[in-house]
Amino acid sequence: MEQVFAYPANWWGEAVRVWLVVAVIIYLIVAIPGMYFIMKYRFKPGEREVGDHENHGHWGLEALWTIIPTIIVLVLATYSFAVFKKQRTAPPDSMVIKVTGFMWGWETEYLDEKGNTIKKVLTVYNPTGYDLPEDQKIVVPAGKPIKALLTSKDVIHSFYVMPAMVLEDMVPGRITHLWFQINEPGEYWIFCREFCGTGHSHMFAKLKVVPPEQFTAWLKGEPSVANKENKAEKGENI
Amino acid sequence: MREAISVPYLKAGLKEWIFTTDHKKIGILYLTTTYIFFLVAGLFGLVIRFEQNSPGYQIVPPDFYNYLLTGHGAVLLLWWGIASHIGGLGNFLLPLMIGAKDVAFPRLNALSWWAFFGASVLVLLTLIPGNHIKMMWTGYPPYAGNPDAGVTALYVFIIHLIGVSSIATAVNFITTYIKMRAPGITFWNTNMFVHALIAANVIQLVGVPSIAGAVTMLLLDTYLGTNFYNPAKGGDPLIYQNVFWFYSHPVVYVMILPIFGMFSEIVSTFSRKPLFGYTSMIFAIWCITFLSFIVWIHHMFVSGVPDWARVLMSYTTILIAVPTGIKIFNWMGTLYKGAIILRVPMLYALGGIFMFLIGGLTGIPNAMVAIDLGISDSLFIVGHFHYVLGMALTFGIFGGITYWFPKMTGRMYPENIGKLSFWLIFAGANIFYFFQMIAGILGNPRRYPDYPPIPEWVTLHHIQTIGALILGVGILVYTVGLIKGLTSGEEASDNPWESQSLEWRLPSPAPVDNFGDEPPKVEPDYHPYKYGAPPAF
Repeated sequence: MEQVFAYPANWWGEAVRVWLVVAVIIYLIVAIPGMYFIMKYRFKPGEREVGDHENHGHWGLEALWTIIPTIIVLVLATYSFAVFKKQRTAPPDSMVIKVTGFMWGWETEYLDEKGNTIKKVLTVYNPTGYDLPEDQKIVVPAGKPIKALLTSKDVIHSFYVMPAMVLEDMVPGRITHLWFQINEPGEYWIFCREFCGTGHSHMFAKLKVVPPEQFTAWLKGEPSVANKENKAEKGENI
Repeated sequence: MREAISVPYLKAGLKEWIFTTDHKKIGILYLTTTYIFFLVAGLFGLVIRFEQNSPGYQIVPPDFYNYLLTGHGAVLLLWWGIASHIGGLGNFLLPLMIGAKDVAFPRLNALSWWAFFGASVLVLLTLIPGNHIKMMWTGYPPYAGNPDAGVTALYVFIIHLIGVSSIATAVNFITTYIKMRAPGITFWNTNMFVHALIAANVIQLVGVPSIAGAVTMLLLDTYLGTNFYNPAKGGDPLIYQNVFWFYSHPVVYVMILPIFGMFSEIVSTFSRKPLFGYTSMIFAIWCITFLSFIVWIHHMFVSGVPDWARVLMSYTTILIAVPTGIKIFNWMGTLYKGAIILRVPMLYALGGIFMFLIGGLTGIPNAMVAIDLGISDSLFIVGHFHYVLGMALTFGIFGGITYWFPKMTGRMYPENIGKLSFWLIFAGANIFYFFQMIAGILGNPRRYPDYPPIPEWVTLHHIQTIGALILGVGILVYTVGLIKGLTSGEEASDNPWESQSLEWRLPSPAPVDNFGDEPPKVEPDYHPYKYGAPPAF
């Protein structure tokens, strides 16, 4: 069996392929006759000067191209509904993380079984480049479903996990969610895709997918330098 | 008397232009203003494109980029997308097509124009560096109230003035259509453009108060400390999105329905054949009008609204494909066994239908909520709406302007320039927006002045820039054609396209009092698409 690279990206990709096939077929059904008519029924002086003016419509045809598209789109919508359910329902054994967006970075919290925060990763705004210090990367285990609870401190952001092809807005005052699972260790992009101002295009993070053992070790390890500093700052504010 | 009044527009004095209540002059004022705004917003678009050409900040800083993007979106939607063909061509054509002397309330019509003019001035004020608005045309709170977003009040008042103008126009046009049709013009022999225009204005009348409310609450929140959208005090930013999109989704049909109407006029005339399925075309228009009000959540598929709402509106949204499909099939039916003449307006209409076909088919994945979860807020959606709104709409307006150019100016739009511009725009737009959609499928977020150097993205951006340049040259060529047509175009006969429709029975350019004091007498079996005799050209 072929190894699935990421959930829910595999279902998303399948849905895109289904749509693409339908769209290309409909396109050809309309465009080929259309082009043919334009070439064949051209005005020619003395020969073809007037269109077929008896032909004002055809109820059978018009009913046909009302009913068949209705069936096609309802099937597509229902198929999309079925896929959507899978995309939105995190498996019960998911690991829960909390991600809070702010202008223009992220704060990721890792929780224990009771829901207490045991580790924080702060990804800060990098206005000039797209590289990130190691301790600002969001680390998750490979092959494990992750449910992300999302919210925002200021304006609306969104959390787009590029390899999983899924995103959800981070809305202040609300907790939204999405889930994903990446099976191949590596580094992947996370972007903000809801417009949030000057730093919008540099509101990114790296998702570092590591083997589960390495993740457990990382989780027990020391908090990062940036996060220590952040804690100190917060303490001062209080 | 009639001959004496019908001076060419270029010879009308400034006083006449300022105090006019003539629907034709007001139409021309709208068209000219929106065309200039279209060119400027198009230039903004080019800067946006160059900025994205390569990774890294290229030519403008990100906050200025956000201003350009806000201006590009707001102006092309509200000026070019609505005002050019409702205020412009709609004003000019509605009374002519139904045989009326003017609109029902000419002074209200002038007020609409001056409110619109006020909004235009406010837009120009945003050009001053301290006045930039950077919250995007959607103005989502809480960001829109943030100092980073620029002057919130300017944004709100622009929307308010446009709204005043839109509501007044809607009341005016709907009344005009109901009360001022010449004897013999009925619902069943009205031009498709008029049918579409009325449907669009019904949407305006129902919808505009909704967006006005949304931005008013934004104004109160920002300046008077109310908490409609402030979650810390019990508000919710999603209220804005709901109320905003309740109007702002239907508004895309305000933009595209009259374009469909123009396609119908042009395709029928240049196929020398009655419009195929006239009745089902009207049915489709009103189906779209109704459905447009129950689909707005598809703009919010990833905004955190409940899943059931997303699925429900996924179904209603995808159903809109059916009436739009009917229209496309009917145009194909009109071409079938026609006697097709490929003049400039026809090229633009066919090109526009082709663009809309791609735009429509790429709209389906936005309706399918499962796919939208991965492509929302990516360049895919940007490419998609530049096919439907950007290009199908521009093709429609360009086609409409060249088609009614003789009636407006008394001169012909130059044929060769028109054809050249069409092919340039058609090629450029397809190169540009098709590859933009692919970039979106590959994950490129929208509204990004900078992006990481992912090789596929960079290649796709280079291709898009080439397309944009060709597109820009095409629009420039079209504009040159407009100037040339106005100043030295061939003099037009009264009915150069040999159309059967009522407006072509007037002299070119249309005289000031249209048909005179007596309404025009139309034959009992009058129909705007009653083609049967060969044309003389």
